[in-house]
Amino acid sequence: MSNSQDKKKPGGKSSAMSRRNFIKGLGVTSVGVVATPGVEFLSTLRQNPPLAQGKLLGPDAVTITLEINGKKLQTSVEPRMTLADVLRDQLHLTGTKIGCDRGACGACTIIMAGKTVSSCMTLALDAIGQSIETIEGLSPAEKLHEIQESFIEHDGLQCGFCTSGMIMSCKNLLDSNPNPSLQQVKVATSGNLCRCGTYPKVFDAVLAAGRDGH
Amino acid sequence: MKHIDAAAHTRGESQYVDDSPQPLGLLHVAVLGSPLAHGKILSIEIEDALQCDGVITIVLAGDIPGENQIGAIIPDEHLLAEKEVFYVGEPVAIVVAENFAQALQAKNKIQVQIEELSAVTDPRAAFANGQIIGTPRTFVFGDVENAWKQCDLIVEGRCDMGGQEHVYLETQRARAVPLENGAMRLYASTQSPYAVQRTVAGILGLPHHKIEVDVKRLGGGFGGKEDQATAWSCLAALAAWKTGKPVELVLPRHEDMVMTGKRHPYSSDFKIGLSAQGKILAYDVKHYQNSGAAADLSTAVLERTLFHSTNAYFIPNTRIFGACCRTNLPPNTAFRGFGGPQGMFVMESAIAKAAEQLNIQREEIQRRNLLCENDIFPYGQHAHEARAEKTWAEAENSFALPGLKERVAQFNQNNFEKKKGYAVMPICFGISFTTHFLNQAGALVHVYTDGSVSVSTGGVEMGQGFSTNITRIAAKAFGINQVRVKVESANTTRVANMSPSAASATTDLNGNATINAVTEIVDRLKSLAVSELGLGQKEKLSLKKERLFYAGKDTGWDWKKLVQTAYLNRVDLSAHGFYATPGICFDKQKEKGHPFAYHVYGTALLEVTVDCLRGTYNIDSTKIVHDLGRPLNELIDRGQVEGALAQGLGWMTLEELIFDKRGHFLSNSLATYKVPDVFFMPDDLEINFLQTAPGASGPYGAKAVGEPPFMYGIGLFFAIRHAMRAFNPKADLPFNSPLTPEKVLLQLHPQWGIDAENRRR
Repeated sequence: MSNSQDKKKPGGKSSAMSRRNFIKGLGVTSVGVVATPGVEFLSTLRQNPPLAQGKLLGPDAVTITLEINGKKLQTSVEPRMTLADVLRDQLHLTGTKIGCDRGACGACTIIMAGKTVSSCMTLALDAIGQSIETIEGLSPAEKLHEIQESFIEHDGLQCGFCTSGMIMSCKNLLDSNPNPSLQQVKVATSGNLCRCGTYPKVFDAVLAAGRDGH
Repeated sequence: MKHIDAAAHTRGESQYVDDSPQPLGLLHVAVLGSPLAHGKILSIEIEDALQCDGVITIVLAGDIPGENQIGAIIPDEHLLAEKEVFYVGEPVAIVVAENFAQALQAKNKIQVQIEELSAVTDPRAAFANGQIIGTPRTFVFGDVENAWKQCDLIVEGRCDMGGQEHVYLETQRARAVPLENGAMRLYASTQSPYAVQRTVAGILGLPHHKIEVDVKRLGGGFGGKEDQATAWSCLAALAAWKTGKPVELVLPRHEDMVMTGKRHPYSSDFKIGLSAQGKILAYDVKHYQNSGAAADLSTAVLERTLFHSTNAYFIPNTRIFGACCRTNLPPNTAFRGFGGPQGMFVMESAIAKAAEQLNIQREEIQRRNLLCENDIFPYGQHAHEARAEKTWAEAENSFALPGLKERVAQFNQNNFEKKKGYAVMPICFGISFTTHFLNQAGALVHVYTDGSVSVSTGGVEMGQGFSTNITRIAAKAFGINQVRVKVESANTTRVANMSPSAASATTDLNGNATINAVTEIVDRLKSLAVSELGLGQKEKLSLKKERLFYAGKDTGWDWKKLVQTAYLNRVDLSAHGFYATPGICFDKQKEKGHPFAYHVYGTALLEVTVDCLRGTYNIDSTKIVHDLGRPLNELIDRGQVEGALAQGLGWMTLEELIFDKRGHFLSNSLATYKVPDVFFMPDDLEINFLQTAPGASGPYGAKAVGEPPFMYGIGLFFAIRHAMRAFNPKADLPFNSPLTPEKVLLQLHPQWGIDAENRRR
């Protein structure tokens, strides 16, 4: 158990959403209203606000284009908005769930530029120009993705609320490692909490998908 | 059969409350909670907040048109605080705005002045102050006082058990939509649609029939949405009533953790007496339940603690006392096991302490005292089809307990800093609501002319596979393919007066009600077929695999033909079925009766390795023999056993609710409150179902499965304790759960630590 805290996902959430990116995101919007660590950082930013693509954005809504599941989608967002909120509320892609609001549960996991990301910890503005995959993109036609088939076959789900995020983490693992070991599956899903306790069946599902699919 | 929602879940298409398309003009709510655990409200200033962008209105207690009361068992809880606040996070006001960000911003501008009063967080202190909810209860069996004289060993001790946050991944939420003529429809994430219906009706001062509650599914419940979901639906309904607009309330995780009640922490005293032969002759236990600030379900939870205080053992002389102690924490509530785990933990602790005094292993005492057929529980019920010994023997044999013991001993001899421990954990859990009248359910079944079937029940799907079970039951009862069956949302206009989906009994009750409804329709269809086909006896007709047989011979009619003919002959193709568990009773004056339809048994073996220099541990294996009767769906049931086990393991070890002395919840996010993750699960997990077990009163002989396996997790505490003893036989090891790595470390090396209490201000 305890060693789980030491496990870093290779290319996982922490690297994709660094504090630097987060502060930068705040910098272009409204630094003053958010209390975050790094007070010195913030005061520097207040004096020298960094530029996002050469111009200041916010606080009013701006029109942005996001590339989601291979489609370019235009939407209007306030710069403070997280990618999770924009996916759900603006683009009505409600397959992505919000479980903890602070990157601790993994329910909102999506794939951005080939890495798993907590969309609740990612500003929508930071997703501009990145290729984004959500659960809705896994099986655009009737045919399910092999990892979806395998989750069904091995009963890797109960209430379903963690399932989207869990599947995105597993899908990303299989993309880069078609035949993972149990330990690699655990590392890949270590950021996804399932309160129903389906972990053993998730392991079965991913290992089987690895074997069958590749 | 696979989980009926599996495909939709994996595609992200399953709809939870806030996933369905938003109604036009939907408003959003932020809830302002009390900043103090106890105090007198002097003033609430809302002018500044009302001026904020997007704010439509702010609702206070005085706005409530009906009765400001949400207490389910005892009316002692306001929906919105009036003159006094009793716990941190108690709702004081709600802000209704065009979007959630605006509501949140305005909420922070509300000024509440509160005169702080003294707060109590410890149940024993509350008990000493006389702050007791309901009446303390005592179960007496045999004669404890006389029995002490015959005991060769008497041991006393104390247990302190932590509570547990539910962490349903979907936080509390509801959407309220005003309808014509003052009616209201709610889409709620609740295990108890009827509790929402009647409480919203009370808040708005309307008859029940004006309120419709619809529940499609929950993103987890675990008891946390049995009674605690009601308030959030009421607040959404109140806002919708005041604005005349649809309103959605979704609690952010932090608010959910701070504002909602949890599993009850308990503090208990025990005294146990044994004969020289290892028979437990007497057991005396006092449970002080930390109930929080209001009754909620605490009195019922306490009752189940008393019922399960002797776990799977027969003890001829017992006295079991329990009191609900009112403190200034959020009202504690149902959580998988419903008080049973706390009762069992104390029993297991008493056995552990006695075993340690005798310098023998716990299982030497456990095994000698397992319930046998016809043994009497302290509440008067006789053990029927007792399988404590059977599951124990099967676990011992199939998982090679002697080998495990030897391996552990060997390992401990050869290693210094790492030690292994093991535990055997038998369980016995009664099935039925202990509140007698809740053991009833209704089902409404429609057959359409194309042969498809719609089933509505009072059961709520929350991941446990209820809809899958009902699909299977209905298809089997009709004799048709399960793809024809659709299980509908739980809706109060289709099934009235639903009991909550709780007590592991949802499939038992609603499944049997479904069978009754189906049987009625099938009976009508058979009457029709007999006359249409000119056959003699209705009883000789049967439907199998969609074909109609007479005395085993195919009649040439299939399901569709039967249904269409019935429709053209004006036969009613709908039926309502009802089920009330037979044969259960309980006399609360005498504290005796037959409260449970049956008991679920099982035995687990747990093995753990503890790093005694770091306090960390790894669960090497958990192996279980579990009694399911005749399982309806082993795939689904296995998931229930694994999931319940995970939560039980977490309760005993990782999951620590830390409140400061002023009642502020400190481990209030998923960063500080740890639930089991992928690395926490046992490396080796094996679950065997007891074979050839006679059936129970559940549908087709199935036994309930939701809660009982939770209590296998209790074994982990004692396995870790065993390893700790191996490292330091003289360590002072309290029966204090959860046994976090931090506590393991500090108990083994007290000289390294600082007083944990000091850290908590």
